[in-house]
Amino acid sequence: MAKRKMSLNELSEKVGLTLSNLSILKTGKAKAVRFSTLEAICEVLDCQPGDILEFVE
Amino acid sequence: MKTNIIMKVMNVIFWIVFIGLCIKTGALLVSLFVTLFINSNGAEDTYMGLDLLDIYSFSVEYYIGVASFLIAITAMKANLAYFVIKLFMKFDLNYPFNEKTASLITQMSHYALGIGVVAIIAESYADRIMRQGIDLQIDWGAEQFLFFAGIIYIIALVFKKGVEIQNENELTI
Repeated sequence: MAKRKMSLNELSEKVGLTLSNLSILKTGKAKAVRFSTLEAICEVLDCQPGDILEFVE
Repeated sequence: MKTNIIMKVMNVIFWIVFIGLCIKTGALLVSLFVTLFINSNGAEDTYMGLDLLDIYSFSVEYYIGVASFLIAITAMKANLAYFVIKLFMKFDLNYPFNEKTASLITQMSHYALGIGVVAIIAESYADRIMRQGIDLQIDWGAEQFLFFAGIIYIIALVFKKGVEIQNENELTI
């Protein structure tokens, strides 16, 4: 998001997610992510799922 | 729409049941008090024709025991009816699985089990009295409450699982 110089508001509008849902994703509180959501985010940010997902032990 | 009407009717019915059981508990208490301290003939019609005069004549201790069990079970039933009323007040069909509802249903199952246990004790107490030749025809309803407790407990488990699934669903983006 920072590389694309995109704000959370802009991303939420383009992806079609509410700000609260985006915030849940950003803070890592989400239990699961739909493929459609992942696809939409990757499309808007022009990246791969691996660029936005990280495994933390 | 239809469900809402049914819910409202059931809410009213449970209020009537709750008030009825409260009145019964009060009447039994007053009857016990009257029999013990004012007029022993009060035992003849304890509540709605319930005749405990034979037991009273045989032993005041037994009479107090039976009347106490009757009062305790009726009061517990009234409290259980109040649990159901509370459930109706908190239940939201649009958001049925929540922590409060699940814990209330679990409490109800424990309470119903408690009533069943007390009713079993009362039944064996009444059996002991009947073995001494006194006729005591009271339906304590122990089996029904134990059965009821089991069913409610299973519903409570389903609700707990429902809460987990709903939380997971809400956190799926």
